[in-house]
Amino acid sequence: MTSTFIRHELKAFWRARNPGKSIAVQVVLGLFILYLLACAIGAGIFLDTLLKHNFPQDNVIVSFAGVLLLYYLFELLSRMQLQELPTLRVQPYLQLAIKRDTLVRYLSLTAMLSFFNVLPLILFIPFIIKVIAVKYGGATAAVFIFALLCIGFFNNYLALYIKRKASFNGWVLSIASISLMLIAAGDFKFHLYSIRAFSYTYFGSLITNPALVLVPLVLGIAMYYLNFLYIKDNLYLETLTKHKTLKRSTTEFPLLNRLGLVGDLVGNEIKLILRNKRPSSALKASVFFLFYGLIFYKNPHMPQAMKIFVGMFMSGIFIISYGQYMYGWQAGQFDGILVSRVNFKDFLRAKYLLFTMVSTAAFILITPYAYFGWKVVLIHFVMYLWNLGVNTTIVLYFANRNEKAIALSKGAAFNWQGTGVTQLLLSIPLLLIPYAVYIPVYFIAGRSVNAGLAALAIIAVIAIALRNFWIDKLAADFNKRKYKVAEGFRTK
Amino acid sequence: MIEIKDLKKVYNNVLVVNVPQLSIRQGESVGLVGNNGAGKTTLFRMMLDLIRPESGSVTSKGENVAGGETWKTYTASYLDEGFLIDYLTPEEYFYFIGGLYGKNRTDVDAFLASMSDFFAGEIIGKGKYIRDLSKGNQAKVGVASCMLQDSELLMLDEPFANIDPTTQFRLKNMLKEANSKGVTTLVSSHDLNHITDVCDRILLMEKGRIIKDIATTSSTLEELEQYFAIGPQAITETAEGPIESSTPAIDPEENH
Repeated sequence: MTSTFIRHELKAFWRARNPGKSIAVQVVLGLFILYLLACAIGAGIFLDTLLKHNFPQDNVIVSFAGVLLLYYLFELLSRMQLQELPTLRVQPYLQLAIKRDTLVRYLSLTAMLSFFNVLPLILFIPFIIKVIAVKYGGATAAVFIFALLCIGFFNNYLALYIKRKASFNGWVLSIASISLMLIAAGDFKFHLYSIRAFSYTYFGSLITNPALVLVPLVLGIAMYYLNFLYIKDNLYLETLTKHKTLKRSTTEFPLLNRLGLVGDLVGNEIKLILRNKRPSSALKASVFFLFYGLIFYKNPHMPQAMKIFVGMFMSGIFIISYGQYMYGWQAGQFDGILVSRVNFKDFLRAKYLLFTMVSTAAFILITPYAYFGWKVVLIHFVMYLWNLGVNTTIVLYFANRNEKAIALSKGAAFNWQGTGVTQLLLSIPLLLIPYAVYIPVYFIAGRSVNAGLAALAIIAVIAIALRNFWIDKLAADFNKRKYKVAEGFRTK
Repeated sequence: MIEIKDLKKVYNNVLVVNVPQLSIRQGESVGLVGNNGAGKTTLFRMMLDLIRPESGSVTSKGENVAGGETWKTYTASYLDEGFLIDYLTPEEYFYFIGGLYGKNRTDVDAFLASMSDFFAGEIIGKGKYIRDLSKGNQAKVGVASCMLQDSELLMLDEPFANIDPTTQFRLKNMLKEANSKGVTTLVSSHDLNHITDVCDRILLMEKGRIIKDIATTSSTLEELEQYFAIGPQAITETAEGPIESSTPAIDPEENH
């Protein structure tokens, strides 16, 4: 039966109607994954050198054993945020003559197919072979590897168990995350105890007393069964689809209401963002980006030219991260928009207004960077204008070419659904045009940062002044493509 | 009101819609019947400028629908859930649609009160987003939003599917009432009883073509039942022409 499930799963993968990935995207993604793998393999092979460098006074094995538990704590936290629950795929099998245990076992086992279960092997096995196997023999190394597998197994099912619980009660995830952070803070902030010492006590003893491997083994098996029983008890549609029965309320935005139709459209889009998982996580990521400057501005030697990037991203990340998938967010109701009385120019005006509102909010929020000098605020302001004038129009020009619907209910992290060539092409003008303007002016004016900024500002202001012209052009362009766009959105 | 000329749509070299000529006069109530794959929804979508025909044109009040904007001001339509904004509550959606047609909240509230029978207490004030409603209740929201628009042309694709018998009867009365006020209605359905009850003119589609165009009489239901009991002949028409030559005979008198 399990092999049948796997065959179905493979068919589902290959036959997906809108896999959201074209060949170009797959190549880029493939390169990205290869790069990450290469980094992990490199870190694994040179782990002993890295440990020596960071803890020069300790023996490598001592520091290795000390780091392991920390790694798994961090892994648990990341798993809770990023690992996907394998859920709805069993729906068509529930009513068939298939034993529940078979289904649940399948669900549980496929949960092991996660990057998180491979990563520690790549990171730690080279070290175990290079150092522990050489010093204590192959048997000890094997016990070590087995112990790590068991802890990974335990972490895997613990994270899924917490996530399953969290799908009924959102607080569970927050409480679990906060407790993990408190455990970490107890060590690094308050120095109440040392996780490293604890980790060393266990893994150090493992070398002398291999029977200790039973501890993670028993824990792992227990967690697996806990998870197994929990799924079995909850193998019902309503619990699998995690339907929340919260009372939804009707919301109004009084300020937007005054702006008439365009305001209504923006109001709807704000609701789209706040009430759906993927766009709202894109918005949260944009908030996170406000701290982007802290990484760069602390460095006094950072060239001014780099600050253009930082400024552009901090006030414009929403335009880029949300705008790149436009109008795919609204794919579900696109037919309705097309036959409705909404003129496409108003539709575009609403997009401009939304971008302007969010960028303005971001620009205001990043003014405290004035701490690093008022010049920073000036750069922010120029790039804020640039975002409003140039980047919005570029993003909307590419939106006219995007035919991929976005599944709103999935999370945003590592979600490539709906990513196509459009998104890749879009990044080129966004990243290059500011420099194509800045660098020549900078050199012509005798290495003058101010001249470069002035050139950016002038172009941005002209572009803002020409908004109505862009709207006409974009609407005419869209009318030529709307059938293809609507067709693409219909094949979800 | 609506004129269709030489309208053709091809998918994968199969002619899915092929309507040489069709005209719908103002105030008519037209029913569209036909088995799955007959091309009803595709025809609707072309009439709403959602897909581009291979050839031919649809005009509404003399204006070409493709690329036009004026027809949208008097045409209300609901084909599927893709017409609803599913992350809004029904109230928010009605206020939005009402706003498009110059109605303020009081107008919309009055309208919603008049629809309370149709909604049967399932839609308003339930604190649910449209996406959390059942299919039938979503269809009710779609149909009601069409009624809210005070349109001159009403197009509904299978409105009787998914809704309960009581609502089906209420919907029939609403359609008849709208038609008596001069609204042109175009409704597709698989329910022959309902469609012959509501519509004065029936179009029967088969493999993309309108093979019967008849005024509803007491014998129409029987005639349609007879047709569907036997089922259409298996012919596939390619873009170049029919594969088999066994095209069903069209009575020239009926095909006006």
